[in-house]
Amino acid sequence: MGDFASNLSLGFGVALSLQNLGLAFLGCLVGSLIGVLPGVGPIATIAMLLPITFGLDPIGALIMLAGIYYGAQYGGSTTAILVNIPGEATSVVTALDGHQMARQGRAGIALGIAAIGSFFAGTVATLVIAALGAPLTGLALIFGPTEYFSLMTMGLVFAVVLARGSILKAIAMILVGVLLSTVGTDLETGEERMTFGLPFLVDGIDFAVLAMGVFGIAEILRNLDHTETRDVVRQAIGRLLPNRDDFRHSYKPVLRGTFIGAALGILPGNGAVLGPFAAYTLEKKLAKDPRRFGQGAIEGVAGPESANNAGAQTSFIPLLTLGIPPNAVMALMVGAMTIHGIVPGPQVMTRNPDLFWGMIASMWIGNLMLLVINLPLVGMWVRLLKVPYRLMFPAILMFCCIGIYSINSLPTDVMFIAFFGLVGYMLIKFGFEPAPMLLGFVLGKLMEENLRRALILSRGDMMTFIEHPISAVLLAIAAILLIVALLPSIRKGRDEVFTE
Amino acid sequence: MSVPHERPGDPGRRGPIRAPQSLGGGIFLVFLAILALWLNRNLDQGTLNAMGPAMLPDWLAVGVGACGVALLAFAFTKQGDELDHWSLRGPFFVVLGILAFAVTIRPFELGALTIPGLGLVIAGPLAIIIGGFATPEMRLRELIILALCLTPFCMVLFGDLLNLPIPIFPQALRDLFPADWSQKDILRAMAAAMVVGAIVVYALGPKKRTQQVDRVVQPDEGIDG
Repeated sequence: MGDFASNLSLGFGVALSLQNLGLAFLGCLVGSLIGVLPGVGPIATIAMLLPITFGLDPIGALIMLAGIYYGAQYGGSTTAILVNIPGEATSVVTALDGHQMARQGRAGIALGIAAIGSFFAGTVATLVIAALGAPLTGLALIFGPTEYFSLMTMGLVFAVVLARGSILKAIAMILVGVLLSTVGTDLETGEERMTFGLPFLVDGIDFAVLAMGVFGIAEILRNLDHTETRDVVRQAIGRLLPNRDDFRHSYKPVLRGTFIGAALGILPGNGAVLGPFAAYTLEKKLAKDPRRFGQGAIEGVAGPESANNAGAQTSFIPLLTLGIPPNAVMALMVGAMTIHGIVPGPQVMTRNPDLFWGMIASMWIGNLMLLVINLPLVGMWVRLLKVPYRLMFPAILMFCCIGIYSINSLPTDVMFIAFFGLVGYMLIKFGFEPAPMLLGFVLGKLMEENLRRALILSRGDMMTFIEHPISAVLLAIAAILLIVALLPSIRKGRDEVFTE
Repeated sequence: MSVPHERPGDPGRRGPIRAPQSLGGGIFLVFLAILALWLNRNLDQGTLNAMGPAMLPDWLAVGVGACGVALLAFAFTKQGDELDHWSLRGPFFVVLGILAFAVTIRPFELGALTIPGLGLVIAGPLAIIIGGFATPEMRLRELIILALCLTPFCMVLFGDLLNLPIPIFPQALRDLFPADWSQKDILRAMAAAMVVGAIVVYALGPKKRTQQVDRVVQPDEGIDG
């Protein structure tokens, strides 16, 4: 317990320096600014803004990136409430009741409770990370390549189960993602694989390029197909601070949402996505009058928003303790850390304690900043959201180009976002979801490396994955999950959760 | 290529193909699998004890192909979603805009074609204006004003404040400015000139009758569509 306190105080010592506070503030501000744009989710936002952190020292850069991430998350919720265009999967649920509230002239309260719920969830999640960080790092030390491989397999199975739509398509996307990750030079033998003899593919496909293409450009193409009917609220925004009655209705959903979100966020395989859905379903089940949901029930905003933010934060845990990015956003964080010479994993905490704890403390500060920034700026977001899409998308397009060019100074990277944008557009048209592909891509390299090592250690015996107890348990969980997800009755329930 | 919109699962659908979306997806996956296997045809699979470079990619390709075949089979047996309509205009101009940015941002050579590095000052407006044509609702004058405002903003932000190594203007233009001006002075002068240009274009344009900002939807109409 003494460690816990001293670690946190070390962290706050780092995060509260004037420079780092400024960076957290700036990160939250630009993150919200870009995240508010409809159709720009956290992944595209981070990929776009990554270059602005290059000139900073590693701690400052990570603090700013974390700020950008929270800003983008919250910006997505703002858009969901004000326009009913959820920027990303996790704010779909917020749009249901949040936008109804906005139409009733209660947009301010919806935004207020979202910010307060998020802040509370963020506080709890910060404490969870601080408490679980050290023990989980210890766990990482007993993990060998066999266990790592099985853990990542389980993560991918999670991603399949949690993906929307057809399970077969989700599996296909995961496999395609892992396949894409094998493009480039094979680390072990030095032979080029699937490079078409092109020099810029020798190092493999850059993650930021793939993510920007599939989530940034493809999203623009998809939005262009739909004639625009953007439904920006014209009602007054109203009071921002919820009154006592609102608090009475929402404190329990906030508590439940925080718990659900934090627990799901720790899971590898993008568990955080499920948090808001689970929280919404739970609130609806518990409500005395479920019919109010979808008509502007404040519980339907408070619960999912808290779950969303708690999950967004606890998903740092697998990355910081095991070095495994559980979702695409965290994979971008890996990229950012690598650029600054930090290899994410258990050693970060021992070797760079000020960085580790500073970042954790700055998460909490980032949440506080959001509360401070967003509430007064609501009016500005409303104005921004009234800009027609025909002007917005060329701007997004140019930001994408500049952002991706600045990462490696390679014009070919810029061309590739166009290519992956087209691929992503095609995938959307064929009914595939691109998110599992990205996760497969992220974990692919690590998986191949660990598979290889595990098999060398066992002299080519596949049974090693079952003979190691931890690995066997992880694989069993994965198998059970997959079977359960394929059962017809459960599948129906799963579809219901997602269509709500 | 637009498909008459039928409700998924319409009983009236003719022909053996029951789920065009799955058919397309299946073909795509099978194509991808064959491509990967073909590209790796000369690489060594190795053994489980010492995996060769091609082992994992080949297995994955087989997996992808199997998913593709399964989707193809479903396309003929299970009712499924219709293919959405595809537009060509959007992808064409967006890709063209991005390519224009990529080839002009710094010197680019492709065979006999050589484009001198023109920097952000040209590449930015090109991306915005060409990309902007992707929607039929575009208005050229608006796009020009947008380009002349956003480009200087990015030039100052990325080139001046953040010092990112992104080319800002063609080096040939260097001689047009007094010799004692630094790169950043030129950058600022250009940014200022562009903003002035934006104001001029705005002022010269025909006076707008009404500000048509956005299509407004009545609250009771809903936006599901």
